[in-house]
Amino acid sequence: MSMQKYIVKRIFQIFLTLIIIMTIMFILFRMMPGDPTAFMLDTRMTPEHKAIIRAQFGLDKPIWYQYLFYLRNFFRGNFGRSFYYARPVYDLVKEKLPATILLWTGAYIISYSLGITLGKIIAWRRGGKLEFGSTLFGLFFYCMPIFWVGLIALWIFSYKFGFFPLGGLKGPDVWSDPSSGMLLKAYDVLKHVTLPLSVLTLAFFAGSMLVMRTSMLETLREDYIMTARAKGLPEKTIRDRHAARNAMLPVVTTFAIAVAGSVGGGVLTETTFSYPGLGKMIVDATLTFDYPLAQASFLFIALLVLVANLVADILYAYLDPRIVY
Amino acid sequence: MKILEVNNLRMYFSTKKGDVKAVEGVSLEIGKGESVGLVGESGCGKTSIGISILKLLPDNGRILEGEILFKGDDLVPKPEDEMRSVRWNGISMIFQAAMNALNPVYKVGDQIVEAIMLHEEVSKEEAYERVAQLYELVGMSPERAENYPHEYSGGMKQRAIIAMALACDPDMIIADEPTTALDVIVQDSIIKEIKKIQAKLDMTMLYISHDISVIAETCERIAVMYAGNVVEYSDSVTLFASPLHPYTNGLLSSFPSIKGPLKKLNPIPGEPPNLLNPPTGCRFHTRCPFAQRLCKEQVPEFREFQERHYAACHFAGELSLR
Amino acid sequence: MEEQKPRTKWEARIQQWKKSWEMYKENKIGLVGIGLLVFFFVFAVLGFVMPHIDPIYHPMTGFDPFIVSKSPPSITHLLGTDFWGRDIMSQLMSGAQIAFLIGLTAAVVAVAIGTTVGLVSGYYGGTTDTLLMRTVDIVLTLPFLPLIIVVSAAVGKQSIWVLVLIIALLSWGGISRVIRSQTLSLKQRPFVEAARVAGATDARIIFRHIGPNVLPLSFLYMSFLVLGAILTEAGVSYLGLGDPTRVSWGIMLQWCRTTGSTFTWYWMLPPGLCITLMTLSFYLIGRAVDEIVNPRLRKR
Repeated sequence: MSMQKYIVKRIFQIFLTLIIIMTIMFILFRMMPGDPTAFMLDTRMTPEHKAIIRAQFGLDKPIWYQYLFYLRNFFRGNFGRSFYYARPVYDLVKEKLPATILLWTGAYIISYSLGITLGKIIAWRRGGKLEFGSTLFGLFFYCMPIFWVGLIALWIFSYKFGFFPLGGLKGPDVWSDPSSGMLLKAYDVLKHVTLPLSVLTLAFFAGSMLVMRTSMLETLREDYIMTARAKGLPEKTIRDRHAARNAMLPVVTTFAIAVAGSVGGGVLTETTFSYPGLGKMIVDATLTFDYPLAQASFLFIALLVLVANLVADILYAYLDPRIVY
Repeated sequence: MKILEVNNLRMYFSTKKGDVKAVEGVSLEIGKGESVGLVGESGCGKTSIGISILKLLPDNGRILEGEILFKGDDLVPKPEDEMRSVRWNGISMIFQAAMNALNPVYKVGDQIVEAIMLHEEVSKEEAYERVAQLYELVGMSPERAENYPHEYSGGMKQRAIIAMALACDPDMIIADEPTTALDVIVQDSIIKEIKKIQAKLDMTMLYISHDISVIAETCERIAVMYAGNVVEYSDSVTLFASPLHPYTNGLLSSFPSIKGPLKKLNPIPGEPPNLLNPPTGCRFHTRCPFAQRLCKEQVPEFREFQERHYAACHFAGELSLR
Repeated sequence: MEEQKPRTKWEARIQQWKKSWEMYKENKIGLVGIGLLVFFFVFAVLGFVMPHIDPIYHPMTGFDPFIVSKSPPSITHLLGTDFWGRDIMSQLMSGAQIAFLIGLTAAVVAVAIGTTVGLVSGYYGGTTDTLLMRTVDIVLTLPFLPLIIVVSAAVGKQSIWVLVLIIALLSWGGISRVIRSQTLSLKQRPFVEAARVAGATDARIIFRHIGPNVLPLSFLYMSFLVLGAILTEAGVSYLGLGDPTRVSWGIMLQWCRTTGSTFTWYWMLPPGLCITLMTLSFYLIGRAVDEIVNPRLRKR
């Protein structure tokens, strides 16, 4: 099977998984005690208003009809209106998505590149002070709750030293001033994003480094490493071209497995830094009982995870010639 | 002319439980165009000698004493960067294919080209041209160089590994159990291939195996190893006809002969010793049917008894063997 | 000394455990893990005792009559008090109790589900296997924390047991895969064939013959699941979606943040440090057990 066919197949699988997740959501919100339609209707609405919404979302129809209606609405981009903001959920998601993608993918890319590089080096130089230090460092960061690391970072870098703003993504003084140029705006965003990005990077970094180290240590025992040494290749070539290249494979697999768990770190980081992304939005929506917004935020986070999985699968297939699609 | 001369080599592995005395006072010489077999039970230090020659020791292995003269040049004190040009260019290795000797993520041809480009000033095209020739030499279609290791069968992998060992036209090849774990028919064709190439290129070779029948088929000279020592070294005909060391004798009578008359096999009683704590004196005395008090107390010297027939036994020549 | 031949199956098992403990004792990081665990256990038990000594040490209702707001460490309050004048040390002890409760129950439930699914899937194979493993695939791609957040929104009631149940229901996927592959290889062993010939039922073969052999692996994964459950509870509580009737470390940090006291070090630092050390203890134990269960990881 060719690569294209494989990708098409995986996209189809993602589509199916998404429908299953939506079905779970649908059942979940129907199981709620009380008015089965409460998830769509704000208690603050007038009865007339409720009736209009009911009809609009087919809530007066049988359950199977409601289900199909729900699916159709989703794929048309109609997620209902947010109770809290009184705006279409679609617009809100569209607003927050870029910020989340910036923070999360940024953190994943930086942490995995750093983790792979450092893991490679410390495994190669077995038993140095560097290995002990980074393993200990990695262990602690692996076990620390990320939001606590965020709080400490805020305390030290924003509160004590004032290097960075306390939260948000855009400084109001810069963005409300019409005379601010692109460069100033970019600098402002960078200033806001640095701290949350660093914290999230640290959280992901520890895991990727520890996995790379273990994987590298196992790879170094492989016979082809002996072959490479016997060929007279320089140490660096053996380490990078022969050992690290193979040791990376389990790291990619681990990424695919871990991503569903680690996006939680993104949610917690966004909340700690009041970073206006999907993660903060899902928490706020849940706390304000804004069900349509919470559901849509969740579905988009789920979609991001599925896409990350797809990327990992494609990367793996590209890196390992043994893979049969 | 001697290509390789090993003098009194001593190599230990340090472990948590103490030093594993893997190679203890081993001496060997290999002339140009000769093929020498190194035979012994598993764990007797054969492979340790192989990796000591190229100084490919793991972190816990170290050479304590001795000389490894390659074309008259001692390799033991050589620093890593000088060793690198000896590796593959001077001495290459044929690894066991059943082990993962080929890197799974690169095309086999590229792995051979990597070795050629490292040691010789040739263009990429010339290197690939060489790979095609090598593939033909080992009886494989040159297009297969474009495949990955997992697309090869065991026998093909072994051929590719042989091709890789020949890539830089080395002065000597160390073959470490090249046919172990292959099925018998493939094993046979690989041995034939090695013999053919050896004859054609006048290859100098050190052939390491636990199987004396394979060694007998491929090698002119045989060194027998026991528990870190070479106990006997001579040409194969003499060794088979009149062994001097009781261990050699035991080894010969524990293997069936295809051509000779059917005989009862006599396995050597007992277990090979633990090299963490080897027996005193002659390391074989614990299992030797002829052992005397002297054998327990004194290490026998590795002496030349006849022209190029060496043995390490106090009573060599006095015993009635075979 | 020669080892005594075990007379009963149980004696054999006890001997096996003793041997494993001997190996575990060799492992320094494993001992550090056990040490931390014992510390937290004592700490948690102290939490039950303290309110009986003086009611101001009750984590929830122990408002100190002389202190009405945050106060730094003092003789009566070794780690100071929170926004409402309650003892932070006592709250930490209560947090240790909650962490044990959540971590262990969630992990036991998840391990039970995961092991059963893995055993059944591996033993029966075929359609059962395909169905179960596809389910696992989906469970493993569900974004864990966000799902807990929306589910808690849907359920509405914020109870510790609901949280335990959700965590357990979402974290059995990984372990079932491991147990399945182990079962696949155990299924080929002669003792399973022997049991089948002797007329044992499928259920008996799965739980009496194969089950005990995969238990060490289950145990290994349990320590990592405990760790995950503790971190998850902390995160959910920190976001304000935890059980407000119990004082957990996550809830403490949530109070600390929502009262605008993030930069009050004596309030903000201790709960996070406790979470870190307790998860670290389970991680270290897990790693040490890993070295015993997977011999290839042992140091040569």
